[in-house]
Amino acid sequence: MALIFRQVIRNLRSPLVRNQGTARYISTGQSCLSKTEKPETRPTVRKINLIQKGQLTEFGQYVAECLPKYIQKVQIAAGDELELLVAPDGIIPVLEFLKDHHNAQFACLTDITAMDVPSRDYRFELIYNLLSLRYKTRIRVKTYTDELTPIESSCSVYKGSNWYEREIWDMFGVFFANHPDLRRILTDYGFQGHPLRKDFPLSGYVEVRYDDEQKRVVIEPLELAQEFRKFDLSAPWEQFPNFRKESTTEEVKINKQ
Amino acid sequence: MASRAMNLAQRQVKPILSLDQDEARKRAINLYRAWNKQLPFIVRHFDIPKSVEQCRQILREEFTKHENLTDVRVIDMLIIKGQMELQESVNNWKQKGHIMSYFKETIEPKPKDFLSKFLQGVD
Repeated sequence: MALIFRQVIRNLRSPLVRNQGTARYISTGQSCLSKTEKPETRPTVRKINLIQKGQLTEFGQYVAECLPKYIQKVQIAAGDELELLVAPDGIIPVLEFLKDHHNAQFACLTDITAMDVPSRDYRFELIYNLLSLRYKTRIRVKTYTDELTPIESSCSVYKGSNWYEREIWDMFGVFFANHPDLRRILTDYGFQGHPLRKDFPLSGYVEVRYDDEQKRVVIEPLELAQEFRKFDLSAPWEQFPNFRKESTTEEVKINKQ
Repeated sequence: MASRAMNLAQRQVKPILSLDQDEARKRAINLYRAWNKQLPFIVRHFDIPKSVEQCRQILREEFTKHENLTDVRVIDMLIIKGQMELQESVNNWKQKGHIMSYFKETIEPKPKDFLSKFLQGVD
């Protein structure tokens, strides 16, 4: 009896051995194995758990099936990190699903951050890192926006996103709609601009100094000649050339209507 | 056909706060009034060596600086930032220096004509 119970628990714990039985799961695992062919033997390169990768792939497909309206792309980055690329309108439903669904339970919001790529149509990419303590897995949800497009605040889903979103507002100027307390968090009062934007000059727009005549701190505009910067978004040095040759993200096939 | 082409050309955007120009205008006026109401208290609390009238003039300048804006979303963004600054001032989160920086007393005007540029060594 105890043995059966333990087995049931084990099945419940793994989010991916759900109802379809094991047939599909095994097939995915094999396809992953055959694709890379030989297992990684180099001691300096991180070994990727192919079983876990197969599970993540299947979970990504499952989420994409559940929320076909919002999920635009599912990909596996750096070997075994699941990423969901989501439409900006659907960020709240997706986060709610991932938090509350029984097979996901990503109840812990590890981090929210953003990325600025000025050449893109929507220049900011928002990245939500989630952790499921129940299933010992992590997931990354990405969406996009620009300077003037508001994005729905995720405070209604995760209480902890309050300060993360304030930080993004401060550093990138992305406006979060319905945020309970959106104001600056890292920069000084009276600071101009958003420092992590790529078009923010290295020296900033203003300079702060103590003025002896005024007996107070004064803020003055600053203009320093700066050469035109062209951004190469790949790493400036190559850490593991053998490892980095091919792109580390691979797309997971999902059914699109 | 032409209208369809027009629709394609116009990008649908999500509003920040205001749906049209009138609403944005109302919001801007409301923000101006809120600032105007708080000015005497700001002058007293921060103990700045300025009169309320001088502050009103600066307030007016700050608003008229953006009077030519037409994009509703840009106006909304400025209103949001103005609202945040008002909150910072009213709650005394700012300090005297931050308030005085609106007056730009220590900033020397940039040289405009050739001779003064030459004398300052600016190209």
